[in-house]
Amino acid sequence: MSQARLPPPPPPQWVVSLNSPMPRPSKAASSIPDPPGFSSSRGGKQRQQQQQQATTKRPEETDALKMKKAWEIAIAPSKQIPMNAIMMYMSGNSLQIFSIMMVLMLFKGPIQGLIGTNAAFAKYDTPSTHSRLLGVKVVYMLMQLVLLCLGIWKVNAMGLLPTTRSDWLAWESERQPLERAHFAFR
Amino acid sequence: MRLQAALFFAACLSPAAAIYPDEVNHIDFHHALLGTPSPDSTFFLKPSPASNASLLYTLSDKLLLGAVNPRDGGLVWRQNISRSVNSPAYGAGLLRGFDGNDAIVGAVGNYIASWSAQDGKVGWENRVSEGVVGDLELLELEDATATSGVRDTVAVVASEGAGIVRRLNGNTGKTVWEFKDTSGDVPFQVSSSSTEVFYISLQSAMLKGFKIKVTVLDPLTGQQTRQQILNTEADVATPESVLYVGANSASPIIVWTDKSQKSLKVNVIGTKEINSITIDNTSGSEIRQITVHAPRKLNALPHFLVHFETVTGAWAEVFHVDLMSAKVTKAYQLPYLPGQSAVAASVIDANVYFTRITDLEAVVVSSASHGILGRWDLQKPSSDIALHSVSEVVAKGKSVAVRSALFRKHGDWQLIRNGQIEWTRHEGLIDAVAATWAETDAQEDLAHELEVEGHETLYGAYLHRVKRHVRDLEHLPDWLKDLPKRILSSILTDEVSNLDSFGVARSVIVATKNGRVYALDTGKHGAVSWGVQAVETSQWNVKAILASPGVATIYPDDGSSVTVDVSTGKIVSRIEPSSSKLHSIAVFEVQDGSSLATVGVREDGTPVTAFANEDGFLVTTSVDGRVLGWFAKYNKTPVWEFVPPSGEKVVDATARPAHDPVASIGKVLGNRSVLYKYLNPNLALVTAVNEQTHTASFYLLDGVSGKVLHATTQAGVDSTQPIASVMSENWFAYSFWGDVDGSESSAKGYQLVISELYESPFPNDRGVLDSATNYSSTAALPLPHVISQAFMIPESISHMAVTQTRQGITTRQLLCTLPSSNSIVGIPRPVLDPRRPVDRDPTTAEAEEGLFRYAPYLDFDGKWYLSHTRDVAGIKAVLSRPTLLESTSLIFAYGSDIYGTRATPSQAFDILGKSFSKLQLVLTVVALGEGVAVLAPMVRRKQVNALWRA
Repeated sequence: MSQARLPPPPPPQWVVSLNSPMPRPSKAASSIPDPPGFSSSRGGKQRQQQQQQATTKRPEETDALKMKKAWEIAIAPSKQIPMNAIMMYMSGNSLQIFSIMMVLMLFKGPIQGLIGTNAAFAKYDTPSTHSRLLGVKVVYMLMQLVLLCLGIWKVNAMGLLPTTRSDWLAWESERQPLERAHFAFR
Repeated sequence: MRLQAALFFAACLSPAAAIYPDEVNHIDFHHALLGTPSPDSTFFLKPSPASNASLLYTLSDKLLLGAVNPRDGGLVWRQNISRSVNSPAYGAGLLRGFDGNDAIVGAVGNYIASWSAQDGKVGWENRVSEGVVGDLELLELEDATATSGVRDTVAVVASEGAGIVRRLNGNTGKTVWEFKDTSGDVPFQVSSSSTEVFYISLQSAMLKGFKIKVTVLDPLTGQQTRQQILNTEADVATPESVLYVGANSASPIIVWTDKSQKSLKVNVIGTKEINSITIDNTSGSEIRQITVHAPRKLNALPHFLVHFETVTGAWAEVFHVDLMSAKVTKAYQLPYLPGQSAVAASVIDANVYFTRITDLEAVVVSSASHGILGRWDLQKPSSDIALHSVSEVVAKGKSVAVRSALFRKHGDWQLIRNGQIEWTRHEGLIDAVAATWAETDAQEDLAHELEVEGHETLYGAYLHRVKRHVRDLEHLPDWLKDLPKRILSSILTDEVSNLDSFGVARSVIVATKNGRVYALDTGKHGAVSWGVQAVETSQWNVKAILASPGVATIYPDDGSSVTVDVSTGKIVSRIEPSSSKLHSIAVFEVQDGSSLATVGVREDGTPVTAFANEDGFLVTTSVDGRVLGWFAKYNKTPVWEFVPPSGEKVVDATARPAHDPVASIGKVLGNRSVLYKYLNPNLALVTAVNEQTHTASFYLLDGVSGKVLHATTQAGVDSTQPIASVMSENWFAYSFWGDVDGSESSAKGYQLVISELYESPFPNDRGVLDSATNYSSTAALPLPHVISQAFMIPESISHMAVTQTRQGITTRQLLCTLPSSNSIVGIPRPVLDPRRPVDRDPTTAEAEEGLFRYAPYLDFDGKWYLSHTRDVAGIKAVLSRPTLLESTSLIFAYGSDIYGTRATPSQAFDILGKSFSKLQLVLTVVALGEGVAVLAPMVRRKQVNALWRA
């Protein structure tokens, strides 16, 4: 995107050979195993192509596409809400290993999502989409909060929230009498 | 829903109180006591002709009839005759038995009955309408009508101005014949020979004294054949002057002495001749007691022994009776020995043996000659005086073996077999009047050291601690030496058996009516650790026993006190009695909590002294039925006085136990709201009865202000039946016999009422005082909200107590003593919840709380019986004590029997069960370790190989 003042010099030979596809290896060469830590570069080729495609698109189109993708991500948690709600409703309010695990998972997802809000939208975050992405993020966070509320509702239904008087009973103390009576009945 | 509730109930409660068979005799112990065996009614007897095994039978002064296994001292069976007797006992009871005869016959007062000697089942019983039974003999003679094995009984009935001799059928107890003597003589005894029945009566002489009259009866018809009157009025002043009337021997004899005890007079019954034998008293001191020991068998040789006792020693003389001439001749003499001695006669076939047990030795002689057949030194000579003994001799060729049941003055019944004490039954415990848990001083030194460390500077405390730990190192070799044994024993034995370090092994101090103090160890199945005679008395009315570390102080009602060392029984100190009779003893805990201060309370309810340095209040009761409140500092006038309404009389008062921890101050309901408990340590529950209107009132008083917080009156109460009450935490319970015939409901029978006190009827509400941290009873004391419920119970409750645990987390059990079924039952508190829904099934929230539908009839579940199959008789009081284990409460019951057990109302949740095997665990760990050690190199090799191959 930077403007070139001088015509670029011809690329060196290693650049040319790096950009051009590898020559098909000979039959004998293909039987040689790859050295340890080497992976075949097929993925790298695809990335190259995508980059080439992306760079070919216009910036407005890219932004629109990014926003569309971002909205999809922001709405995605809401799709889980009915499923989770049904699951939580069905799992019962008793304290069992499965229901506890399910509730933990229910809490883990939204909290991780909330923490990683910026990370989730990082690839769509460009200076041009930054301001527009704010609303998307708010919607995403709302959705996560709805999921979190579902978890809290479930925990409350399980009786794990200290919301009742009995939960604080252990911190209440017995009233002490100021006078003491001694009994001599026997 | 009901099924669900029932299942919930079953799941919650059913294992809670049950006692498993392997816990019997393991966690509990029982001293089944008989009381003092009476000398005439104690004997060895072979109950079955087929077997040679004999049992020891006795009829005690408490009118308990029992058979004791002479092997281990265990009780085979026991009958309480005092329940059957409805006339005052005429002296002690009478018990007669016969070898090979499976029926023993006993009589007390007007009651005469026969029991099977093997199992104690009643054969027949008979109540004499004319008077009381004076004497009893089994007829040994065989006649044509007698079926084998069953002997008829001859009984003398003393009625107004006449004596009746009756022969009772051995099978049915029906009268076979009757001989009535209307001469106005005092009926005395009955005796029999092989051919005749002798009725001995005392005829009043002209001036004073009695003549002995012998009436000879025909055993088959009861007709009088002849009569003889012995001129004994100079010697026999009272019926007690006649020493012995020989019962059932070939030559029955009557023995008495002259008034100066210079000569012994012997008459062979049926003859007129009186043999006079000079008593050769060489001891120099006055003869205190003369006893005659003769065989009680028809075919035994006509020999008898007279035992002379002086204050310092005793000797015995053996006499032979010549059957032809009825002459009595002295055969030989057992020498005078200083100290006490007890003699018993026993018979093998026709031979008569006499066993003499002195302080140091046991000697067996034959009646025929003075040669000593067997002599054994007593292993543990006792200083306790031997009162009487019965013996059983077994001849093995030339040598003999003997076992003697010896009763000692201080209540120990010992079986001495060839000089060895086989067992001891502590019959003196039957009179237990008070008991308490002893406090040991084992931790006292450490507590003192820690206190010193707390008061020093940081550096000084550190040095002190280092020094203490260095000092402790001297125990290290012992500890190391002990270690393998401890590890081994902890692996091999059950977990349940070695809980002694958790406070399960406790000493109990028991004081008895006859002035004795015993210590029983609950860790050793209630074995008596020591017994001392604290006071020489027969009416020791102990009011309180207070235990402080290392010592226990006993306070009787005469103002005196005795302090004993709990580990040795040594009397540490003594305070002489004061003049005034005490009604009760008040106990103050002095501020530092280590020592206790007491003050006596007179019968009118006044404390004897005032307490200058005590701020508390004192609540007392008086004999005339008032409850009084006092300042501890001022004992002249009471602060308040509670007098029940006219006609009512205070019969009982109870307060919360001294140790009554409350784990939670509220009750959590199903919807997780809280109903706050009304907790006040100053509460007292006063029971008052009105005998005219048959009502019983229960008043809940505040001990400081005397304010009546709650009062309830029950109608139709029988005040002669026991009314028991108890209080704990925020609830109280009482039981009585009631007959309510109301328009709404009617109930007749024993009732158990439980009431719970709450601060407010509404959940989440702490009442008027709300969140105040303290309160004063003298200011406006709020009234409790009381929820009550009554249950019909199958039998009466004579005493109530509550299980105590360390922190009060474990649910409590209401410990009820059931006198009619001789057992102790522990009713779980959840069952007695007054909030159980009436006439409807519980809602989900209520079911979640553990409430289930109310049922008016409360049957005692078999699992609740702490005493399970045991016959725990005559319990007067039950003590409970926390252990270091929260789940476990120690229980000790005393009165007549002694019973101790452990209760786990919420199951033993903090103890590893018997199914837990340490050995298995150790083996599993070892096996796993070995597996790892073997597999680790293999896996490592495999991993390295895999790396190379890849």
